[in-house]
Amino acid sequence: MKNYKSILVILSIGITSCSSCKKDDDNATTTYQPGSVTLEYENVVNGIHVDISGGTNYKNAAGDSFNITLLKYYISNVELLKSDGSYYKVPESYYLINEANVSMHKAVMSDVPGGVYTGIRYMVGVDSTRNVSGAQTGALDVGNLMFWTWNSGYIFFKLEGTSPSAISGTNPTGDYTYHIGGFKQSTGANMRTITAAFGENLTVDGSREAEIHTTVDIQELFKNPVDISLAVDNDVMSPGPVATKIANNYVDMFQFEHIHNAK
Amino acid sequence: MFRKLWMHLHFGGMHPPLDLYFNMNKIILIFILVVSIYSCKREDCNDAIISFNQPATFPPPVYTFQNNELTQSGFELGRKLFYDPILSKDNTISCGSCHQQVVAFAHGEHKLSHGIKGLLGTRNSPALFNIAWQNAFFWDGGSNSIEVQPVGPITNPVEMDETISNVISKLQSTSYYPSMFQNAFGKDTITSQLMLRALAQFMAAMVSADSKYDQYKNGTATFNSDELNGYQIFRQHCESCHKEPLFTDLSYRNNGLDIAFGRDAGRAQITLLPLDSGKFKVPSLRNIAVTSPYMHDGRFNSLSLVIDHYRTGIKQSTTLDSQLISGISLTAAEKLALLSFLNTLTDYTFINDKRFSEQ
Repeated sequence: MKNYKSILVILSIGITSCSSCKKDDDNATTTYQPGSVTLEYENVVNGIHVDISGGTNYKNAAGDSFNITLLKYYISNVELLKSDGSYYKVPESYYLINEANVSMHKAVMSDVPGGVYTGIRYMVGVDSTRNVSGAQTGALDVGNLMFWTWNSGYIFFKLEGTSPSAISGTNPTGDYTYHIGGFKQSTGANMRTITAAFGENLTVDGSREAEIHTTVDIQELFKNPVDISLAVDNDVMSPGPVATKIANNYVDMFQFEHIHNAK
Repeated sequence: MFRKLWMHLHFGGMHPPLDLYFNMNKIILIFILVVSIYSCKREDCNDAIISFNQPATFPPPVYTFQNNELTQSGFELGRKLFYDPILSKDNTISCGSCHQQVVAFAHGEHKLSHGIKGLLGTRNSPALFNIAWQNAFFWDGGSNSIEVQPVGPITNPVEMDETISNVISKLQSTSYYPSMFQNAFGKDTITSQLMLRALAQFMAAMVSADSKYDQYKNGTATFNSDELNGYQIFRQHCESCHKEPLFTDLSYRNNGLDIAFGRDAGRAQITLLPLDSGKFKVPSLRNIAVTSPYMHDGRFNSLSLVIDHYRTGIKQSTTLDSQLISGISLTAAEKLALLSFLNTLTDYTFINDKRFSEQ
């Protein structure tokens, strides 16, 4: 009996504190500490973590068999949607996601103002300003091999591998190369904006965990709105209509999954 | 000379001719001392000091050293990098290999340039000067900043064939580059950004504006009658594209070299516009007398051949510049006068300026 009572007391305290938690969250006068927010990208094919060893054969919407040996892309210009409907623009937010390097599956944004956030908006690619601003550093370092030297500008998205459909007289190994970039309106501005609502609150408050998980399904590159055939388009390394077609396809590749926000 | 002076002081008054000879030396020495002291005052005591001097007649520069202030140590680091074959894969080719100061940083007598292992490129190595006024680089204007331009030749498989990350680690592992970067940028951890900024400082400081033409314009030199005639002919027939004072309007034009452009579509490769097929950047005519061979593929060995091309060699195509459809009509005498004028565009001060030379 005594035990029961103490359990009840503990439970009620727990419930009370929980509900007070919620109250705090909604209370505009609550002070939150700045903290870091982590973006995590999980690259998948058909929902299973991507294999970039080249050892797994996938089949795309057009029916081409293909494998993957390289996958890299830029996430930039991150903005977090505040509960009041305004956006907090994360300064200098340029991140290179590189499947080959586990430490580059995540982007950590530090010193995000404390508060409650309900969504996110970011660019896949690099804004036009940084494409014309000379030598950059960090994620935008030209040494990251995501820069066209013959036609200045960042490569926003790289996917490489082989496909039997791509085999030809001049391409006996069936390599396919998708280097998607291009920031000029005249040749096709291929930056794409991704927007997602969390469906719940993400509270940034000091050391409180704040992670935003997104899955990136490579299959989406090959379909919707148009199917990409590896027999036809397998060597894309410049801005232009094909690059734009692929960029249009990969917009829906970036699917918000969930947040982690444990205290 | 010092030894002779010393001899004179100690063994002076031997016989008159020798004494006179020694005195002459003394006079020359004093003269040199006076001149060097005077020029010291004028040039802040060191003619190695770099500064960006905006010529009064030039428009404002495109590259303004924003976020990359021109400093002596940054400039000298850029110069060292420019002449260092460490930037190439097998440490054999430097920027200076294909950009030689004696020919205004073009590649003397090379239609095309050989990169590592003797591999040939596809376009003529352009002269380098007045880079700060250029808004785009390469014959097709594909590179949009002097800071990122060097990444092209460094990584091109037929030029220097190196990766940027390798260059950085090679530089970092030398005994001298980290301290040079420390002096130039306050950091001894080398990044591609800092390397490229140093190169940009060196290249953007290369101002060429002291040719006989410039001296004529500012009243410190005179043109002879051929040169004057040639200047008039230039203004009548060439000026619309090779616009003063840069002697280029920075545009891209098809100057009638070919009837088809399958081998090199030029500007169209960048803009993807068929109307840009066969168009290439209008090069500056400054220093033109020393930068042979000419055109984007180096097909003409002499200025005489270039002028003859415009007189009688224009090939028709849909993108041919409208001003060249009938060619440029010049008599033999007019051609010679024009050549005389073009020769006044050589800036000997620039091509002999030790600040831009390999040290």
